[in-house]
Amino acid sequence: MKRAPIVISATVAGLAGVLAFHTTPAKLSLGALPTADGSRPASSVRPASSSGSRASSGHPAAASKPTSRATATSGGTRSAAGSAVNYSYGVVSVKVTVSGKKILNVGIASIDDGGNTRSESIDQQAIPILEQEVMAAQSANIQGASGASYTSAGFTQSLQSALHSLDFQ
Amino acid sequence: MGTIVSIDVYTSRDVAPAEIDEVRRQLIRARAVLQRADEVFSTWQPDSAISRLRAGKISVAEAPAEVADVLSRCETARELSDGWFDPWAMPGGVDPTGLVKGWAAQRALAEFSAPCITGAMVNAAGDIASYGDPGRGEPFRVGIADPSAPRRLAEIVSLTGAIATSGSYERGRHLIDPHSGRPAVRVGSASVTGPDLGLADALATALAVAGEPGLALIEPLDGYEAMIMGLDASRQRTEHFPLSAPQ
Repeated sequence: MKRAPIVISATVAGLAGVLAFHTTPAKLSLGALPTADGSRPASSVRPASSSGSRASSGHPAAASKPTSRATATSGGTRSAAGSAVNYSYGVVSVKVTVSGKKILNVGIASIDDGGNTRSESIDQQAIPILEQEVMAAQSANIQGASGASYTSAGFTQSLQSALHSLDFQ
Repeated sequence: MGTIVSIDVYTSRDVAPAEIDEVRRQLIRARAVLQRADEVFSTWQPDSAISRLRAGKISVAEAPAEVADVLSRCETARELSDGWFDPWAMPGGVDPTGLVKGWAAQRALAEFSAPCITGAMVNAAGDIASYGDPGRGEPFRVGIADPSAPRRLAEIVSLTGAIATSGSYERGRHLIDPHSGRPAVRVGSASVTGPDLGLADALATALAVAGEPGLALIEPLDGYEAMIMGLDASRQRTEHFPLSAPQ
């Protein structure tokens, strides 16, 4: 039987020094990543859990221990929120519900764009499309996308971490 | 470069803490590689080496060694693309941006070598350098954005090495026809796969401008394959472009 791999991810946003870690399984925690030269960069380096704390207060869903967010209900339906992922215009966390090998629902657990109006218009256009497309392409089983936009990179990464936390492949 | 770079490292399960520490140190170094590339090659920063070179304030010999390395790679890409990729034909002076992002991501990837790693992927806003696999005995699978709706995936590629995609929908990309000096894109998007993301990045930029005739330039390049997607959903590709069936 093949075993699920551990995935360690980091996002360097604008190369300004923002890194968000998420690992699965959750028991393995990397903690905060120090900078290469030991100094603090302009944007703080932090584990996914603290970027989650930046997400809107009504949705404290982002977590550094995704499996602890996973909830099981009757019929084998499980859901989890992905790590909060920084993208160009804010921080996004995606929530996904699966049953067996099927994604039942995908949506935004939290999004914090700092009230940026340009960002809001991008989010309003992009997020519903992304949600639809995940549902349509859920069997694609991919690890990355080429030529994809900024928003979708953050969305996809958070979604991936949520799926990892459910051990969904 | 003003872009998002995400790094995914896949390890076997049951990795010792010391090994995770090693991966973490490699992640830190990979990040430093990207930041260094940004410092040297940002055309947006007036104090960067590339900006000073463009402004005629320093020579290539006076610039950090990476500049000569990148410009040498640009020359190679210009020759291989029959001039369709030409950083010296850009308005405002030499601009290696079309190769630098991929070059930097490929260098960042080279920092990962821990034995517990089954595969790693550095994704610089859609241009991806990778090695190995996700640890399940199958290669990485990567979607290519639909050029007519970039938030939708049009194709899936079974990836060994790197893939770069250039298209008219991208922001901040200098898709200038070197022969006319004007912006020109003749395709929806152009994707190039191959062992080195720097060259793949440059060739994808070249193909996006050259259009279908450019595929004949890629076909003879060992290890490199290409696909052009039209806005009308048409596809043209080299013989062995690694399209994957949906799973």
